[in-house]
Amino acid sequence: MLVIRPLQENDLDDLYTMALNAGKGLTTLPADRELLQRKIDHARETFNQRCAPEAGLYLFALEDIDTGKAVGISGIQARVGLDEVFYNYRLSLTVNASKELGVHVRTPTLQLSNDMTDTSEICSLLLSNDYQGGGNGLLLSRCRFMYLDEFRKHFSEKVFAEMRGVSDRNGQSPLWDALGAKFFDMEFSEADKLSGLGNKSFIAELMPKYPIYVPMLPDSARAVIGRVHENTVPALKMLQAEGFNFNGLVDIFDGGPVVEAFVHNIRTIRESVNRYALVTSKSMDLEAPPAERVMVSNRSFRDFRVTTMPAKYIGPETVRMPPEVAEALQVQSGDSVRLAPLKEGGFWPIHSHRAGDNVDEASENRIKKYRSHSSWD
Amino acid sequence: MWLVRPATPADLEPILEIAGTQGARLSSTLPKQQEALANKIRHSLDSFAGKTNDEEPPRFLFVLENTETGEILGTAGIDARAGNGQPFYNYRRDALIHASHELGVSRRVEVLYPSHGLTDQSLLCSFAIKPELRTTDAFELLSRARLLFIAEHREWFSNRMVVEIQGVQEEDGSVPFWDSLGRHFFNMDFQTADQYSGTLSKTFIAELMPPNPIYVTLLSPKAQEALGQAHKLTVPNLELLQREGFQAGCYLDIFDAGPVLEARTDSLRTLVTSDRKELHASHEDAGETCLIAAGEGEDFRCTLTPVAVTLGGKVQVPVRTWQLLNKSAGDTVRVAPL
Repeated sequence: MLVIRPLQENDLDDLYTMALNAGKGLTTLPADRELLQRKIDHARETFNQRCAPEAGLYLFALEDIDTGKAVGISGIQARVGLDEVFYNYRLSLTVNASKELGVHVRTPTLQLSNDMTDTSEICSLLLSNDYQGGGNGLLLSRCRFMYLDEFRKHFSEKVFAEMRGVSDRNGQSPLWDALGAKFFDMEFSEADKLSGLGNKSFIAELMPKYPIYVPMLPDSARAVIGRVHENTVPALKMLQAEGFNFNGLVDIFDGGPVVEAFVHNIRTIRESVNRYALVTSKSMDLEAPPAERVMVSNRSFRDFRVTTMPAKYIGPETVRMPPEVAEALQVQSGDSVRLAPLKEGGFWPIHSHRAGDNVDEASENRIKKYRSHSSWD
Repeated sequence: MWLVRPATPADLEPILEIAGTQGARLSSTLPKQQEALANKIRHSLDSFAGKTNDEEPPRFLFVLENTETGEILGTAGIDARAGNGQPFYNYRRDALIHASHELGVSRRVEVLYPSHGLTDQSLLCSFAIKPELRTTDAFELLSRARLLFIAEHREWFSNRMVVEIQGVQEEDGSVPFWDSLGRHFFNMDFQTADQYSGTLSKTFIAELMPPNPIYVTLLSPKAQEALGQAHKLTVPNLELLQREGFQAGCYLDIFDAGPVLEARTDSLRTLVTSDRKELHASHEDAGETCLIAAGEGEDFRCTLTPVAVTLGGKVQVPVRTWQLLNKSAGDTVRVAPL
């Protein structure tokens, strides 16, 4: 069984192995033991509420309970741009028009911006190759929305994700080669590494401050602005299904898009409901395809846990679970748990209120009942 | 003999012919369209007569005439106020240092800033001469006659002078700087844009020019090479102007990145070395060949003549020179060595 839990001290080796295998392009998780240790420390302080809320770094591990190993990581940074200035390019448009000549020229520009400052970022997603598939990636990513929902006051109203941009097999990025390299005099991987290590002030010092006129860039560079790396396409699709949209900002190095959503609009959050855990000793079949599974989380800030189980055990007020699931979640019978579908459009025995749906009176009442439950705790 | 004098409506056809043979770049100050040119000549005559206002500052157009045949051989102009009452557009080539202490990196980043800094300085322009005269003294006469005019009418002109020198153009007519920059914004080829800049109001430049600075490193390599480089054909002109004291500064033409030469008006060699003298007769062609100019405003004439200087600030020149200048003994003329 796989369970999401806060990152722990003893995850360092597993993290390092994962980062090593991930290769270039994952700026938030470089293969650097010292840096990873700092991240673990930071995450521990965050969950123990020993750092300011806006400085929080919430890192979760996906643990295989059977082996005790961390096999995936994902995170939320409470606020970006406070310690270090946070940079993006805004893909903007300048129109030059002359009535006299009948000319109307649209020129896309890249404007250096700090627009995401003070916004929560979902970041650091990495899943071991051995565990790809079976909805594990969905759990690793979407568990964060469950957490965001539970503890909204610790995060901004809007969250965003930076998607990895296009680079080739050798780690060469067309946008970097056409733009960044002209100002930085270093390889993309090098700059990317420095940026991941947190030395971001060099960006401000070396980066062009004036808008870049996109037509002056070569075709190869223009083609990748706002595009994701092919390996990132599934992640982008997953976020789009959650309601994330491209917000017009791109990464200053590789041109990868920034996608964002308001927390209250995120699908997982809109569809999530509360139930009471009902731990039963009767044998239960926990196997089900991802489309028929649900995420189930405890509601603990310090020791947040999420796992998945078949949706069919959800009742009107309770959700039945075997002792091993209860143990993984660290809940007992009668504790409140939160549930959300693992996969969009999957089996979901709850008719929650969604905009545009026709709601009959019966389901309206049911919703009221669930709402009263969720406010009950 | 060669004579430089104000252009008149009668010169329209021959000037059009000269403008047509000069390639694209000249058209911004010497229109190829009959009507535009006629207007320019009319405005020039008003300027010589001192009948202009602040909205339309003086613009002078001179022609070089062969007095024996009456043939027009070239043109040269002065705009008393660059931009002619509107902004005068250039790029200012400047540099920023991008340095990171943390990385120990320091880097010089060249930037082109849109600038109106040269607006209202006096501009030498519209210089065109028949190819067969390029290597003769007529070339120098036509160019420097303007400076003698300025010396004679110093109060009409500003304290600083500028000249735009044509930039690099390929054999096929393409302009590397334009293709790398202006083309993206103007959506037209260089020839068209250049022509518009001569015939239409300059507002189209304001409307279409990228308003932000341009990073040189993002220009094509060919365009970068062309920055501040003069077109091969303009080299004699460039050298002449440099001898006068003009120097390339940090300003570039916005269309082809040709250099803009600058000078302090009162330091120009022609202004420093020319003197006002009293005219007297000489009966032989004795003495050194000099530039000689006389006449106010529309009566301005300038030619080359042998000059014998006598004591007491008097010059002796052949009588046929008098006739060209419409002057007689005792009148004041301005003389400058060739």
